[in-house]
Amino acid sequence: MSKIGKFLLKVLLRIVLLALGFFVVTFTIYIFNLDMKATAMLEPFFEKWYDKLERKQYI
Amino acid sequence: MKTVNKVVNPVKRAGEQSPAGIYDEKLKVRKRREWRGVKDTFYDYTRWLYLVSVLAKFIAVPRNIKGFFRYRWMMSYLFVMHGMDKFTIGLRDEALRITHTSFNFVIADVTQAIANCFRGDRRVGNDKAYSDACVVTDENSMVTFMMGFNTDEVHTILREVPTMFASNIFHQFNVMHYLDIAQQYGIPGDVCPMPEAEAGISIEDDFCVLGSCAVQNNTTCDGSLMGNGIIAKRLEREYGIPTFQLATPLRHKEPDVLEYAAEEIKKAIAFVEEHTGAKWNWDTYFTAAKRVNDATRCRIAQMEINSTPYPQFFGAAFSLYNDTNYMGNSGRNADFVTIDHKLLELAEQGYQAKRMYAKEYRHRCIVWGVQPQYVIDMLYWMVQCWGVVPLTDMLSVINTDMIAEEDTPENREQAYRDMAMLNMEMIMRNHTHGGYKVLLDDLWDLCEKMNADIVMMWEHMSCKALTGMHGMFEEQARERGIHIMWVSHDLCDPRVFTRQAIRDQVNSYMRTVMREEPLDPGLEIIPDNEAY
Repeated sequence: MSKIGKFLLKVLLRIVLLALGFFVVTFTIYIFNLDMKATAMLEPFFEKWYDKLERKQYI
Repeated sequence: MKTVNKVVNPVKRAGEQSPAGIYDEKLKVRKRREWRGVKDTFYDYTRWLYLVSVLAKFIAVPRNIKGFFRYRWMMSYLFVMHGMDKFTIGLRDEALRITHTSFNFVIADVTQAIANCFRGDRRVGNDKAYSDACVVTDENSMVTFMMGFNTDEVHTILREVPTMFASNIFHQFNVMHYLDIAQQYGIPGDVCPMPEAEAGISIEDDFCVLGSCAVQNNTTCDGSLMGNGIIAKRLEREYGIPTFQLATPLRHKEPDVLEYAAEEIKKAIAFVEEHTGAKWNWDTYFTAAKRVNDATRCRIAQMEINSTPYPQFFGAAFSLYNDTNYMGNSGRNADFVTIDHKLLELAEQGYQAKRMYAKEYRHRCIVWGVQPQYVIDMLYWMVQCWGVVPLTDMLSVINTDMIAEEDTPENREQAYRDMAMLNMEMIMRNHTHGGYKVLLDDLWDLCEKMNADIVMMWEHMSCKALTGMHGMFEEQARERGIHIMWVSHDLCDPRVFTRQAIRDQVNSYMRTVMREEPLDPGLEIIPDNEAY
């Protein structure tokens, strides 16, 4: 195999590995609903933040 | 009593047989996502990735981050995927694709609406030139009076949609804070929680502030009028945004109200022209009118498919997509045309292949009354748990007439009447107002056309518009041999009726009156009362 061929194969292999890594990570997050579980853990902190904000309340 | 033929799905569902395993009472979200077989799980995963990209694109804009930390209601957009999961329980094949195509489009549209609000908001983006070209429009108002304004010159901002309505789809507790605020200021708790929450948001000063002017509508009920008054007061007196009251006749079936309604539309257009400096363009209007007609034809075709033994596009996604397209869009955005046709193509494909949402259809149901089905996965649950197919719902039964779409001198006058007709017959108003003909007679016609044997009547505890008709519904259903199943709720206040309390009313009816066992016993009780 020529030098260019080897180089291209290496690049291709990296792309495949990166795509595979991306798929494994994101699919794990997706199937175990880790995205929603993580945001549910953040919610109490946001609640406190919004409670602290000054607002001009009147009717 | 009327009966319908049972339809059995000859194809075994791919992946797990029941979605009951995805719920966990200790969690506020699902334990995991449903395994739908390789093909459909992969499809669902790719749609999840798409939604991640929509949200990532949104939050990559600095002013949107600023807006996120300013407005409490933004918190519910952390749970967009949770909202999507609610409406896809048990779905496979075309049903899954139809729900994703429609609902994902609505999500992208709402995300854009929030971005637009933040861009013009005096506290966040403060883009004055953009804000000056914005017209703040009442959530429950048809935007027909904006159909002739070029969307590059004038922007229609339905700020209550992302603030209250859509945010509640993703997070059932999100508006409770605003209800408490409204009640602290003396508004009684028996008002419809939807306008009450909107009033609470205004009292709390949690609406984006933008626009050269605003248009409100005498919407559908006493609560809505009350809410609009509070909102208009703040808009006009504090923020200096003049607000037009579009007074639309309620008896929309009476022909003598049409001319008055058309005059109101003319006044609304003149008001927008005066405050934005933009001019009404008839080319723009008739282009939008063509799209309105196209959307109407697609909706009629979807309803015809739903009249067969193999309905394809139903549930909250059908209703929500129609709401967005018919009322919030009104032909102004060309992208809806593509989606309309894609959805129809999928539905036709599903019909040809005799695809079903569940393993059995036992009953065909019309969903009527003021509905909370965006907050709860009720319509999908009904078909999965009991084989009761919600063929259509009251909010989706809207105009079926074509409007004038050719630019002629006569049609320019007709156009005002068309806009007025659409506005008078907008969602909610078209059946809750206009007398018993639109609330009762239309329902029985629909039962006949769609071959329904059950009506599920949503009984909204705080809605005064329908309360007086309870006895007439019972009496007329009995005469026609149609089962009527009353299901009480309090719209977006889950403290009055929890999700399981709502489902239990269906469970009781199916067990005691219909003497049936559930299709999927695992779904009869779901531990999701505390879930978002």
